[in-house]
Amino acid sequence: MARSRQPARLSSEAPSESSSSTSPERAADDDTDFFTLQANDSQSSIGAGNARDSHIQTDPEIALPPIAYLPPEILISIFSKLNSPKDLLSCLLVCRIWAVNCVGLLWHRPSCNNWDNLKRITAAVGEENSFFLYSALIKRLNLSALTEDVSDGTVVPFAQCNRIERLTLTNCRKLTDNGVSDLIVGSRHLQALDVSELRALTDHTLFNVAENCNRLQGLNITGCTKVTDESLIAISQKCRLLKRLKLNGVTQVTDKAILSFAQNCPSILEIDLQECKLVTNQSVTALMATLQNLRELRLAHCEKINDSAFLELPRHISMSSLRILDLTACENIRDDAVERIVNAAPRLRNLVLAKCKYITARSVWTICKLGKNLHYVHLGHCSNITDDAVIQLVKSCNRIRYIDLACCSRLTDRSVQQLATLPKLRRIGLVKCQLITDASILALARPTQDRSVSFSSLERVHLSYCINLTMLGIHALLNSCPRLTHLSLTGVASFLREELTVFCREAPQEFTRQQREVFCVFSGEGVNLLRDHLNREAAPQRDMNEATMYDDEEELDEDEGQMTGLMHAAAINDDDYIDITPPHT
Amino acid sequence: MAEKTLIMESNDGKKIEVPIDVASRSILIKNMIDDLPEGAFEEAIPISNVSENVLTKVIEWCTHHRSDPPSSGDDDDTRRKTTDIDEWDQKFMQVDQEMLFEIILAANYLDIKPLLDIGCKTVANMIKGKSPEEIRKTFNIQNDFTPEEEDQIRRENEWAEDR
Repeated sequence: MARSRQPARLSSEAPSESSSSTSPERAADDDTDFFTLQANDSQSSIGAGNARDSHIQTDPEIALPPIAYLPPEILISIFSKLNSPKDLLSCLLVCRIWAVNCVGLLWHRPSCNNWDNLKRITAAVGEENSFFLYSALIKRLNLSALTEDVSDGTVVPFAQCNRIERLTLTNCRKLTDNGVSDLIVGSRHLQALDVSELRALTDHTLFNVAENCNRLQGLNITGCTKVTDESLIAISQKCRLLKRLKLNGVTQVTDKAILSFAQNCPSILEIDLQECKLVTNQSVTALMATLQNLRELRLAHCEKINDSAFLELPRHISMSSLRILDLTACENIRDDAVERIVNAAPRLRNLVLAKCKYITARSVWTICKLGKNLHYVHLGHCSNITDDAVIQLVKSCNRIRYIDLACCSRLTDRSVQQLATLPKLRRIGLVKCQLITDASILALARPTQDRSVSFSSLERVHLSYCINLTMLGIHALLNSCPRLTHLSLTGVASFLREELTVFCREAPQEFTRQQREVFCVFSGEGVNLLRDHLNREAAPQRDMNEATMYDDEEELDEDEGQMTGLMHAAAINDDDYIDITPPHT
Repeated sequence: MAEKTLIMESNDGKKIEVPIDVASRSILIKNMIDDLPEGAFEEAIPISNVSENVLTKVIEWCTHHRSDPPSSGDDDDTRRKTTDIDEWDQKFMQVDQEMLFEIILAANYLDIKPLLDIGCKTVANMIKGKSPEEIRKTFNIQNDFTPEEEDQIRRENEWAEDR
């Protein structure tokens, strides 16, 4: 019966290999020799116990328990169902066979979420005669929770961890080229690197990435302002499997690097060039024309871009993979570009044109062609757009979940009443749409036409500086939107009253006194407290409130045919939202 | 019209007739069927690693789950993903340890992923929240670490206690 034990132990060199099956998109392992060599250096079986394994005594006289017949791969499947490190630690201490088969899972992604843990982990990794070769087991290392506490010295023990696949150092601002290079050099398995906000990093680190990490698929160097084209070109030539690239605020990047990515990295799915202000039309045209799989293109504040970037795309092109396009503050984008974009990328889901101030209703009519594909649209500060355009947009694209129309100052209640019919609307931004009144808010408060849903799906509503709003609309809105977690009413006079602002969030530190005085944002529990408060206040006077609503309806009746229908519905459904208020009303 | 069947033969020589759609829950069997021409199943298929009582149990599971949708491949089905074990399966798995592990081994051999998965979850649930000593007792495992080794492992993995 000893036979079942023997093979289990022999194949115990598998744990690190087997656990790697939980890593995404692992290529066939072609360099086991590299790993074996390293393991031999420390005289231990791979990732497992050392020479002391030979101490395992299997007494043939003792009958093995039933569980001993499970082969290692099944033990590993069992251990992989345990989510807590504590349970894995218990398994680790049961016996040798269990230990070698679960240590890889435990160390796959050690939790460095606090300083004490990090110290214990680095101590074990650095321990010369450690029971297991932990450094070879770590596949994911994330130090982002420790931010400023992490220094080049902190990461030294991890330098020998050459099997890391994901390295996340977000916001560890004290790290420099030295520390990061220690981690990178030799990390041939690295697939994802996030060094965003490590402002001290230079080309030196990225040259090391290019040299060592040929399997890299994701790179985020947001805010690494010292990085230049030179190292990025090296990356594009050496890391040709890249899929995700984030260069936000890497301000020195020019077309040279971007063209090289377009040419060398055909697998790119997502690219973010926010604030890469030197990037021009040439880059944009090249990315869109050559990257077949491009799903997400972010160009916020790439101010040099204009219509030509899109008008010069090959005529036949169809970017059927493109789902997200962000052109925030690309101020020179006009209607012609939007038309070309929508025709070339008919399956866009997210379209951000905030602050593209020259676009007009014509763009909106073009966007209507996206139909049910469009889920998220941002048209803030596109102040030329009209009620008619918005109404048409809602009719054409009824799957919209998120819409922002901040500062679209021409919009009136007509737009919002149409927006209120969107069955899946979760977030609406109407900041500084100063023409809108309570009629808009009452429309939003009315349950959607979809009878299967008895309450609004709205979660976040932004109404700051909509100066005409009063308690009437907001109270109704609160009571009909049980999922509401954010309501902003900054600068709306009716709400700047002490008894209401007590439920507000604290104004941000950097705000001036004047800004503080008008700040009025309810979020999370604050929304519930405001709702409860208004319901308590209103309880004795409900009759009066309802009377007011009907009056409103009457009034609007005379104005506008379409509005009548909507307001009528609002009034009829008035009872619905009262029904779903908390029990103590 | 009679259901199409095939015959499976356990390692202790018992022949069991099984409807083809039930037997096809086993990817091993399914691939054999797909590879052979119609009507080539006059002969019993030897299931050389599985004894009759275990095979009967596995067939019971396959019969209950015969019309489950295929588990993988279809993107729309990912939302059916659950971490718990459904009630019928929980009852099904209320067997002694020897049978439990035999079922797991049979599911592994016959390539019945959902059954293997339920088996592994069942064992994982027996481990959860227990101390090493309690786990050893549960499964009758001998501790082959020296106290020094145990100390060392505990020390080096102390971080996992936290959280």
